[in-house]
Amino acid sequence: MTEDFNTVSEDDLHAYVDGFLTPRERQRVEQWLERNPARAEEVRQWQAQAVDLRALFAGYARSDARDRALLLSSSHSDLPQPNPGRNNGKDTGSAIRRLRAIAAGLALFAAGGLTGLYAPALLSADRGGRAIETADSLPRQAQSAFLVYASEVRHAVEVGADEQSHLANWLGKRLDHPLSIPDLSSLGFSLVGGRLLPVNGKAGAMFMYEDGTGRRLTVLLGRNDDNRETSFRIDSADGVETFYWIDGPIGYAVTGEVPRNLLQQVADECYRQFDKSEATGS
Amino acid sequence: MSQSRNGGNADAGGDPPASDRFEEDVLALVPALRRYARSLVRSDPDGEDLLQDCVEKVLARRAQWRGVNLRAWAFTIMTNLGRNRHRYLAMHPQVALDEDLGLEAENRESDPLERSRLERALNGLSSENRSVLMLVVIEGYRYQDVAEMMAIPIGTVMSRLSRARRQLAEAMKDDNVISMRRPK
Repeated sequence: MTEDFNTVSEDDLHAYVDGFLTPRERQRVEQWLERNPARAEEVRQWQAQAVDLRALFAGYARSDARDRALLLSSSHSDLPQPNPGRNNGKDTGSAIRRLRAIAAGLALFAAGGLTGLYAPALLSADRGGRAIETADSLPRQAQSAFLVYASEVRHAVEVGADEQSHLANWLGKRLDHPLSIPDLSSLGFSLVGGRLLPVNGKAGAMFMYEDGTGRRLTVLLGRNDDNRETSFRIDSADGVETFYWIDGPIGYAVTGEVPRNLLQQVADECYRQFDKSEATGS
Repeated sequence: MSQSRNGGNADAGGDPPASDRFEEDVLALVPALRRYARSLVRSDPDGEDLLQDCVEKVLARRAQWRGVNLRAWAFTIMTNLGRNRHRYLAMHPQVALDEDLGLEAENRESDPLERSRLERALNGLSSENRSVLMLVVIEGYRYQDVAEMMAIPIGTVMSRLSRARRQLAEAMKDDNVISMRRPK
């Protein structure tokens, strides 16, 4: 498999990714990678990783109005309390420091508000944080809703499929977003009904579907204050699979104990129909 | 001592008195230290805490600095503080603090799910492997520099780097992300 006269070590591959090779060495590694597609794929992943990591933290490498205060408070706090006992006071120290940082942040925010300089950055940072929170908790909430309600025989839903238009109006109003209930009959699932549910502490909606064999799946909608779009995600826990995505003001999660490819078709179908209903404003 | 790609920027001008200059040099390092701190921990407040711990330590130990490459010296202190912190948190689990200090990266266009996935994957790394990865990938240090900074053999640097990369790639496998089909 490997040719003795031209092997490339693991260390060489890292040095290649990290840009520590001379042009000649690079060429040698590249020729070797051409003949070793599996390792080439690995190297490609490492390169992508490096790009993503740099992007993730690049924004932190900046100075801050608080930096000088950081320096001053450090030298002062070190005078009365030399070296060792720091660990004891660690928690209080951190808490105080955090309060100080928050206060500084508020001051900065207020100052920024006057000049209009900092406010947008702060606001957008805050929005980013919330989006992550929503995105992370959505599949978990969808899974627990599924586990609780899909096993209910008689009270699985509050409003049955026979009152479909009422259901759509009611939940749409509570969600503050026009709703049309997806029709999944092409995939063999018919609507059982729906209910109001808290999602991220706000009114959310759940629809339940069932196929001819009694397999159930749920579609959960919750508000997402952040106007973002994400790609489809899948999250599975204890055999329960959830596809979820965020599309503007609403986060969606499709959950079921069905094969993944079927659930994906359901998610696709839901996405298509929700998207269409939004476009027509119905 | 070998120089790192972007190390050794402790400046060469010599106007202000020595004590002030040290502080100015530290101040100039704060942005890089802030980034490195944040890359070692789980949240923005933790990053700022670690940064402050590090600045405190650097100032308190200034007498011990050998006068060469302040940046690498400060990064070493940060690495050790990060490891202690990691150990401390492992023994004293705390509820995650996620108050937003408005310190986050300004460049926020990327997919928030993708970012949180990467962060979670990073949080799965050991403190040692994470430090090596960050020093090399983000801070641009050479393997030999990292070995010196962490006082470990270069072979250990390489195996930690390798483990960090593999573990991260495993955690970030694309098979649980399906790109959204837009029907238009």
